[in-house]
Amino acid sequence: MSTNMNRRTFVQGSLAASVLATLAGCGKKQDAAQSTSGGAGTAASGAFRYYISSPDCIDPYNVNEDQGTQVTYNLFDSLTDFDYEAGKIIGKAAESWEPSDGGKKFTFHLVKGAKFHNGDPVNSEAFKRAWTRVVSPTYGKENAGVLDYHLGMVKGYADVLAGKTEDFVGLTCPDENTFVVELSMAYPDFPYVAAHPCLGPVPKAAVDDPKAFYKAPIGNGPFMMDGEWVDGQYINVKRFDDYYGTPASIGAIQFNIQKDVETAYREFQAGNYDKSEVPAPQTNEAISQYGQSTDGFTGTPGHQFLTGEEASVYYLNMTVTDETLKDPDVRRAISLAINRQAICDNLFQGLRKPADDILPPSIPGYEKGAWQYSHYDKEAAIKLLDAKYPADANGKRNLSIQLSFNPEGGHKEIMEMVQSDLEAVGFTVTSDTREWSAILDDYRKGNTQAGRLGWTADYPIADNFLYSLFKSDSGDNCSKYNNAEVDKALEAARSTIDDKERIAAMTAVSKMVGDDCPIAPIMYYSHREITSDKVASFNFDAGRHPHLDTAKMA
Amino acid sequence: MAKYIVRRVLQFIPVFLGVTIIMFLLQNVVPGDPIKLIAGDKAMSPEAELAIKADHGLVVTDENGKPVLDEKTGEPIPTPLIQQYFNYLNGLVHGDLGTSYKRNLPVTEILLQKYPYTVRLALVGIVIEAIIGIGAGIISAIKRYSFWDTLVTLSTSILVAMPAFWLGMLLQLFFGVLCKNWTNGAFYLPISFNANGEFQDWVYYILPAFTLASVSTAYTSRIMRSQLLEVMNADYIRTARAKGLSRKAVIWRHALKNALIPVVTYIGIDFGVMLSGAILTETVFNWPGVGNEIYLAISQRDWPIVMGGVTIIVIVVMIINLLVDISYAFLDPRIRLGASSNKN
Amino acid sequence: MSTATDKKEAPQSQAAAPARTLWGDAFARLRRNKLAVLGVIWIIFIVLVALTADLWAPQLLGSPTEMDTTQAAATSKLPPSLEHPFGTDALGRDVLVRVIYGARVSLTVGLLATAISTMIGLVMGALAAYYGGLWDTIVMRLADIFLAFPYTLFVVVMLAVMGQGIQNVFIAIGILGWPSIARVFRSTILSVKENDYVDAARALGASDVRIITRHIFPNSVASIVVYATMNIGGAILTEAALSFLGMGVTPPNPSWGIMIQDGQQYLATQPWLMLMPGLAILTTVLAFTLLGDGLRDALDVKMKDA
Repeated sequence: MSTNMNRRTFVQGSLAASVLATLAGCGKKQDAAQSTSGGAGTAASGAFRYYISSPDCIDPYNVNEDQGTQVTYNLFDSLTDFDYEAGKIIGKAAESWEPSDGGKKFTFHLVKGAKFHNGDPVNSEAFKRAWTRVVSPTYGKENAGVLDYHLGMVKGYADVLAGKTEDFVGLTCPDENTFVVELSMAYPDFPYVAAHPCLGPVPKAAVDDPKAFYKAPIGNGPFMMDGEWVDGQYINVKRFDDYYGTPASIGAIQFNIQKDVETAYREFQAGNYDKSEVPAPQTNEAISQYGQSTDGFTGTPGHQFLTGEEASVYYLNMTVTDETLKDPDVRRAISLAINRQAICDNLFQGLRKPADDILPPSIPGYEKGAWQYSHYDKEAAIKLLDAKYPADANGKRNLSIQLSFNPEGGHKEIMEMVQSDLEAVGFTVTSDTREWSAILDDYRKGNTQAGRLGWTADYPIADNFLYSLFKSDSGDNCSKYNNAEVDKALEAARSTIDDKERIAAMTAVSKMVGDDCPIAPIMYYSHREITSDKVASFNFDAGRHPHLDTAKMA
Repeated sequence: MAKYIVRRVLQFIPVFLGVTIIMFLLQNVVPGDPIKLIAGDKAMSPEAELAIKADHGLVVTDENGKPVLDEKTGEPIPTPLIQQYFNYLNGLVHGDLGTSYKRNLPVTEILLQKYPYTVRLALVGIVIEAIIGIGAGIISAIKRYSFWDTLVTLSTSILVAMPAFWLGMLLQLFFGVLCKNWTNGAFYLPISFNANGEFQDWVYYILPAFTLASVSTAYTSRIMRSQLLEVMNADYIRTARAKGLSRKAVIWRHALKNALIPVVTYIGIDFGVMLSGAILTETVFNWPGVGNEIYLAISQRDWPIVMGGVTIIVIVVMIINLLVDISYAFLDPRIRLGASSNKN
Repeated sequence: MSTATDKKEAPQSQAAAPARTLWGDAFARLRRNKLAVLGVIWIIFIVLVALTADLWAPQLLGSPTEMDTTQAAATSKLPPSLEHPFGTDALGRDVLVRVIYGARVSLTVGLLATAISTMIGLVMGALAAYYGGLWDTIVMRLADIFLAFPYTLFVVVMLAVMGQGIQNVFIAIGILGWPSIARVFRSTILSVKENDYVDAARALGASDVRIITRHIFPNSVASIVVYATMNIGGAILTEAALSFLGMGVTPPNPSWGIMIQDGQQYLATQPWLMLMPGLAILTTVLAFTLLGDGLRDALDVKMKDA
C-alpha cells in the first residue's frame, strides 16, 4: 500500500497544454457573456477571461489534470499550499500544524470562522468528509474517482477504498477547528500532500446532492461558482465576499473552454482573452510583441509572456530489463548522445532548458549536474560504446533500439531529433508510434524498449519524483528499475524527520539512480502563458496554479 | 406512401443493428484500456478501477451497484458483451446513451452541446453547395464549350482532387494570413467571442462551410451540367423549342425544373452526410462539432461518446435519406415506390 | 449497354479478336484526350521518381529522415532556394526530398488499397449478382451497413484497432472500399447476365466459375478498370487524411499527409511546408482522375456521376 501514495502525473503532453488536455479538449465556448443560450452565462461583462481546454472534472474528488485544477484551485482552499517564490510550505485553510509521533501524526489547526460559499462553516468534519469522498468508491459522489492514492498512507485507507466502511479511522476531529491525520508510516512531507487541490474541504451539500455538486462545486476558496459548468463552453465564477482571507480584487472570472492552444492564442490576439497560452512556434513573435515576464511567473503590462520553468521533466524512458538496455553503458551512451540543447533551441526557441537531473531546479534537492550522464557529449558516448560494441565501416554498431511513442502534440519532432542523435553514434533506430491510449499500458508493463514520458509533481518534493519513478514496486516505475540499495535508501530518506537531512538524502539517492541511468532526462518544461495588457498583475506558479485571488486588473 | 415509409424504416433496422454491433465489437478489440486512461496518465489503484467499471456497467454488480466477485477466484466478473450490448439498446430506447468515461457527464448532454455547431455548419455548407454548385452547373451547360464551361470543369476537377483539410488550410492562409489587414482575422477565427450580432458569428462559418462543401459542390455542378444537357435534348424540350418558345424561356420554365430533380436529391443526401460531422474539416478549423468530439473520444477510448455519436449520426442520416426519397417520389411521379431506391 | 458488350456477342473462341479491337480503339481514343495524356505523363513521372529516388535524391538533397541536430537550429525552416527548392522543414531536412519519398507511400497505398477493395468488391459483387436471392440480400445488406458508417470515422476506428503503419493503412482503406466496387460489378453482371451468349454458354454446360471468369468478367472489365483508376486517387486522399490525423506511416518516414500536418503549425510563418506536399497530392490525384475520366470516355463506360 505504500506504493499507492507514489503515483504522480506522467506529463503526457509536451507543448504545455498537454496532449491529454488537448485530446480531452473538445468543444468551445460561444459568446457566453452575451449568450442567450444556456441561461447560466451571466458573467458580468468585464469578467477576467481565462482560457482553459476542456476539463475532465472540477469537483475536487477527481481533479486529475491541469485544466480542471486551474478552476478547482480557485474554488477550494486545501489545508496548506506550496509557495514557490519562498520555496516553502505555508498554511491556507489551516493556520498551523504540528507533526508528532515521529512523523506519523499531524494535527492541523483550521482558520476559525471560515465559511463555505453556501454559508456552512468550514470545520474539521468538512475535511474528513472530503477526504473520505476522495477514497471511498461510493461515498458522496455519483461516479468513482481515481485520486485515492494521495491518501494511501493514511490509516484505514484500505478499508475505505475497498468499500468496507465509510469511516476513515485515520482522520479524527477532536473539535471544530482541529483536524488530526494519522499515518500508517512516518512521512514528514505529509503537509505537502495536504496542499493538493483534490484535498480541499466539501460541505454537506456535496454528499446530499453529488450530481449538482459535480457541476457547481461549493468550496471555501476566494471564488465561487456562478452557475453551472457548461461542458465545452465555459465555467463562470465570481468573487466570494465572505472569504476568510483577503478577498480577491477581480469580481468575476470566466474560464472559457477552447479546443486548443492555437485557437485560444488567436482569440487572445484578437483581444478576447485576458489569459491564454502561446503555441510553441509563436514563441518569438509573442516575446517581441508582448514582452517577457521579468520573473517568468508574473504577468504585468509590457511583460505579459510568462516563460518560467515548471516543476516537470521530459525524459526518455529505457526499459532496463531489455536485452540491449540492460547494459548500463548502453543507457549512459544513449543519455550522452542526446543533444538536449538542440531540441530546446530548435523546437522550443530555447524556452525549455536541458535537464541535468531528474529533479527540476524548483524542487528542493535539485543539484546542478547531479546526473553525470545527463548532458550532450557525443565523443564520450562513442567512447563508451566502442569498448563493447565496435562500429563497422559505416559507423554502425550491432545495437538496435525501438522508440515507442505517441506522435501527436509535438513528440514526433522531439523523438525524430533523438533518433537522429542515436543514429549518429551508431545505433540502428526504428520507431513505433501509437496513440497515447494504446501505448501507456505497454510503458507501464515494460513492454516497450524505449519511449518518451514526462513527469509533473503532484507535490513539489523530491520524494514525489524519486520514489514514484525508481522504487522497484512503484506503479509508475516504467523503466522497471530495480535496485535494492536505492529502495532502501529511498525508504530511509522519506521518513527522515529533519528537513535538511531528508533533502540531502534525496539528492544522494538521485545521484545513485543517475549513475545507473535508467532513464535519460531530456528537458524541463516551461510556461508559455500570456496575459493581456489589461491585467496589472497575475501570478502563475511553477506548479501551474493560477493565483487569481491576488490578480489585479489595470 | 405510409406502407412505403414503414417498409423503409423496417429495412433500416438491420442496418442500424449491423452498424452498432460492428462498432461495439471493434471497441472491444481496440488496444488501450479506456478505464486505465481515465486517470489521465497516472497509475490508478485496482479498487478505483473496479469502482469505475461498476459505474459504467462493465462488471457484474449487485442491486446496490457493488461489484460481484467470483466465488472461486475472488475476481470481479466482466459483464458479458451481449449483456453490454443489450444494456446499450435498452438505454437507447430510454434516451440514455450512457455516461462519458472521462468526464462523467451524460453522453446525450455532451453531444447535444456539439450538435448545433455541426448542424449550423452543414446548413451553411448546403447553401453554398446549392448556390455555387447549381449556378456553375447551369452556366457551364448553357454556355457549353465556352471559357466558363472549361473553367467550371477544371475547377471542379481540382476541388475533387484536393484534400479538403488542405483546402481549409489554404483558405486560412489566404484570408487569415495574407489578407490579414483586410479581413482583420475575421475569417480565421472559428467563432467570435465578442460577437454582438449574429452576422459576425456567421462570417466565421464561411470558410469551414466552404471546405466542408467543396467536393460535393463540384459534384453538384457536374450533375447539374449533365442533367441539364440531357434534358435539353429531350423530345418535349425540342417540341417546346419548335413551337417557337425562346431558348431562355425553355430553359428556365421547363428544362431546369426537370434537371433539378436529381440535383436536389443529391444535395439532400449530401446534407445527411454533412450532418455526420466532418472529422477533417472540424479538425482543421477547430470546429466544436460532433465529428471532432467523436474523433477525440476515439483517441481517448471514451466509448460511450463514440457509440452515442455513431448512433445519432446513423439515425439522422437515415431520416434524411428517407425524407429525400419521399420528396423524390413526390417530385417525380415516374418513380414507382417499389423501385429500388437505396442511396449511397 | 455499352459498345463493349455489343461487340462481344461471339462465343469465347473469338473473344480475343474483338477484345483487341475494343482496347485498340480505346487506346486510340485515349491518346486523343489531351488531359488524359497529361495525367498519364504525370503518373509515369511520379512513379519513376519514386522508384529511382534512392539512386540520386539523398545524394543531391540530403537524407529524408535524418538530420544533424547540432546544425538543426541554423538549417531549419529555410525558405525555398536553389539549394533547397522546396525549403527545409522544422528539423532542417530538405522538403523536396521528403516529398519525393512521400510519393512512395502515396502510390503504394493508392495501388494496394485499390487492389484489395477491387478484389473483395469483385467477389462480393459476383456473389450477389450471379447467385442472387439470399446471397444478393446478404451482400447488399452488408454493403448498406458499410456505407451507413461515416467513412472517415470508420477508417479511424479501424486503424485504432489495427495500429499505425503503412501496411495497416492500405489494408484498412482497402477493406472499407469494397461496397461501391461490389455495387458497380453487381449491376454490370446483372446486365451482362441477360445476354444470349451467357445462356448459350450455360446451355453448353459451362461451370459457374467459367462463365463468370470467361464471359462476364471480360465484359465488365472496362467499368472495373475505370472505377479502379478513380479509386486510386480516392485511396491516396484517404491516406493523406489519415496521416494528417497522425495515424499513417511511422516517423521519421515522410508521407504527404504527415508533412501537411507538420506544416500546419507554421502556416502563418513558413507556408511552403504545407503547400508543397499538398500540391503533390493535388497533382497526383488529379492525374489519376484525368486518366480515369479519359478511360471512361475511351471505353464508353456509363457511370453515375456521384
